[in-house]
Amino acid sequence: MRDARVKLVTTLAVYSIKGGVGKTTTAVNLAYLAAAEGLRTLVWDLDPQGAASFFFRIKPKVKGGGKALLRDQGALDAAIKGTDFERLDLLPADFSYRHLDLRLGQSDKPRRQLERLLKPLRREYDLLLLDCPPGISTLSENVFAVADALLVPLIPSTLSIRTLEQLDAFLREKMPRRAPQLLPFFSMVDETKALHRTIMQDAPRQDLQILQSPIPEIDEIERMGLHRMPITAYAASEMAVGSYRALWREVKLVLSGEW
Amino acid sequence: MTDIASIEATVESFYKMRQTNSGTAELLVPSGLELHALIDAIDELIPAVREPDVTLSRRFFDSFDWRLFVAGVSLEWRFSESSASPYTAMSLFEDAQPARSTLCWRDLSESDAEPILQPLESEPGLLDEMPAGPVRERLAPLLEMRRLLPMVEVISQQTLVRLLNEDEKTVVRLVVEQNHFREPNAGRHGNLMCRLRLLSVRGYAEAFEQARLVLEKRLGLSVLDEPLAQEPLAQEALLAAGHRPGAYSTKLDQQLEPDQRADLATKQILRGLLETLEANLEGTRQNLDSEFLHDLRVATRRTRSALSQIKGVFPEALVVDFKQRFAWLQQITGPVRDLDVYLLDFPDMERRLPPALRSDLKPLHEQLVRLHAEAQRQLSQALGSAAFDSLLRDWHRFLDAEMPVSKAPTAEAVDLHPRARQAHPSHGPLPSDAELPGQALLPKQAAVPIKQVADQRIRKMLKRVRAEGRAITEDSPPEALHELRKSCKKLRYLMEFFQSLYPRDQIREQIKQTKLLLDNLGRFQDTAVQAQHLREHAESSVNASAGTSANAGANASAKPSVTSASTNASKNGLPPGTLLAMGALIGQLLNDQASARATFSDVFAAFDSAENAKRFKTLFATHDLCASAESARDKCGMPE
Repeated sequence: MRDARVKLVTTLAVYSIKGGVGKTTTAVNLAYLAAAEGLRTLVWDLDPQGAASFFFRIKPKVKGGGKALLRDQGALDAAIKGTDFERLDLLPADFSYRHLDLRLGQSDKPRRQLERLLKPLRREYDLLLLDCPPGISTLSENVFAVADALLVPLIPSTLSIRTLEQLDAFLREKMPRRAPQLLPFFSMVDETKALHRTIMQDAPRQDLQILQSPIPEIDEIERMGLHRMPITAYAASEMAVGSYRALWREVKLVLSGEW
Repeated sequence: MTDIASIEATVESFYKMRQTNSGTAELLVPSGLELHALIDAIDELIPAVREPDVTLSRRFFDSFDWRLFVAGVSLEWRFSESSASPYTAMSLFEDAQPARSTLCWRDLSESDAEPILQPLESEPGLLDEMPAGPVRERLAPLLEMRRLLPMVEVISQQTLVRLLNEDEKTVVRLVVEQNHFREPNAGRHGNLMCRLRLLSVRGYAEAFEQARLVLEKRLGLSVLDEPLAQEPLAQEALLAAGHRPGAYSTKLDQQLEPDQRADLATKQILRGLLETLEANLEGTRQNLDSEFLHDLRVATRRTRSALSQIKGVFPEALVVDFKQRFAWLQQITGPVRDLDVYLLDFPDMERRLPPALRSDLKPLHEQLVRLHAEAQRQLSQALGSAAFDSLLRDWHRFLDAEMPVSKAPTAEAVDLHPRARQAHPSHGPLPSDAELPGQALLPKQAAVPIKQVADQRIRKMLKRVRAEGRAITEDSPPEALHELRKSCKKLRYLMEFFQSLYPRDQIREQIKQTKLLLDNLGRFQDTAVQAQHLREHAESSVNASAGTSANAGANASAKPSVTSASTNASKNGLPPGTLLAMGALIGQLLNDQASARATFSDVFAAFDSAENAKRFKTLFATHDLCASAESARDKCGMPE
């Protein structure tokens, strides 16, 4: 039965040009929620800093590094680790990923390598979630080519709105037919800041569809680093848990509407 | 990469993937070992975290005749009593509601195949009552008309323990399962073995091996040779509950000895049939599904056939009495079976009609369902009657009685009569006492070796089938084919009763040849019967409507019988559209019948071929001196 549904496998990427915007916390929490609902989920920690791997207590190390992954499907399979949670696996980061761009540039179809690598995994998983490093690079273009949607965390500021517009323009220009859907959402929101409030109030009037479920900037999320697991896994009632749940619900809703 | 190279790479990686995933070991926990003590002992050697316990109830289902078990499938309906219910979402776009209860299909021939799940709120039963879904889809071709029955329930208390590495990361999972079984009908219950399953976490194969070694070498637990629990657990529970999975069969498989006394061998056959009959009684009474009654009727028909076809082995008066009483059983079970067949064929009948006419049949269906309910009520009553009770009691007594060794008067023949007479007053008078002394002597064939009787009877019936078949021409009336079918069935039953006396492959071949002929005759007959039923239905419906209009003007002092007739009329009246659709169906059925009739001569010619005759002859040839005696015996054989 699963086989018959291969085409329903979804690939999501959490992506931002800027760093430190809450990408990884979002990726690990949404992955946890998806797996808890029954989806076989794989997170690929593409960021050489290895924050997602850290949250799952998995060593950020891949035998043979990014080079081996690109060359040999077996290396990729062998690198996947089960997390503490059922149905949730991780492809860890490796410090060598910082050279990934170079390696991708040397290959045949430099923008389609990720797509090639992920294809066999679609038999095993219902959801593939890519935690991307900041920046815009060949790796990013690989991510754009394979992802059904990009979750883009935005710290409410004029600059981040402008960057989002640039990203949108880039995707429209470079991949007019099969650009991933943009799912921007406000991240690290501080309600006490007037600027945050203003930006968020103005957002609906602009052309960009920003999701309605913001993630607040609060200590609880910061403390995830001490627990080394998704907050959705160990806390039940905290505000952050509600926010991630609401975001995940909205993402599913938007995607199923679009399908 | 070329295509072939990429395929190879995929296959290779798949293989590796399976290797990294394949870590599962199942261990037996010695009884009496305290769970806490075990977990503490493990924790001393490997850091471990115990999760809250989960209680899981699973009911294993199968049909009465073990269709799923035979097909290598296990079906469980599970419901979790804790909040940690299993989710069954399979894609982002499904609503991931936790299902409180789930139907779970496992293909036992592929031990590493994932189970197929379908949420199901209430216990499964008949296919028609089950919502569409992946499990129902797989069940349909196996189960057909049979009902799923709860065979055994297993209540498992699962304790999950996570084994950790130095980063306090889970690297191995350990599930301790304390199982308890409960048999839903008889209420039998008890404990099953305590099982411990060690599950690898992907990418931590070494930790898994270490944990396995610790449990085996340090804690002295033994690893089961064949891990993967479901099948052994289901089987363990079924056996503990007193089931014999796969044991039910309606096949005639009595093992007879060629030189066994004919009366004893015949009793053995009859006892097997009685066992089948009784096994299906409760299901028939409750109308669990239509197969119970069907199997009960087949056993009855075979019993009657054995009584009349295996001639001269029991006292005649007794045979006459039981034949009559089993005929009664066949008769009271007839109406429900007819309606069952009607209803089972209904979807097929609808398909025969052009789509535009199909909905016109609905009133007929409703009427059949009503009639079925009424007939079933009467049947359940008849099966609870004193007449039926005494039939079973007398039959048991007869089959279990010792057979006379010499030609002395048979005790039970004399013994039984008063009871039989009392129990079944509706019968005609039994043979007068004046006949008894002669009957009471050991019947002619009783002490003859069964093989000899079998050879004779089969040859005789074969001869009759041939004669009747050869006499049928293009112009023969339907009754001629009907008679041939009856003889043919007798031949088939005889061969089946006695099959253990002949080389297996050869007798099966002859049974198969006979079945081919029977299939043709059956198609001819069944379509005729269906058409006839439809016609009768239509006629009674029209008559009933006529009755209604006539009664409309009748005055209020009408007799009660008239009133009841008019209620019947409003029930039986079918709208004209339905009658027309039935007419179209009758046309279709008669076409079918005609095509069966057209192929008859070819089918019979194949049966009557020289080759087939030779095979029959080799199997049932006379090997002894009784050939001449045979004709004499046959003359005094009883009428059928």
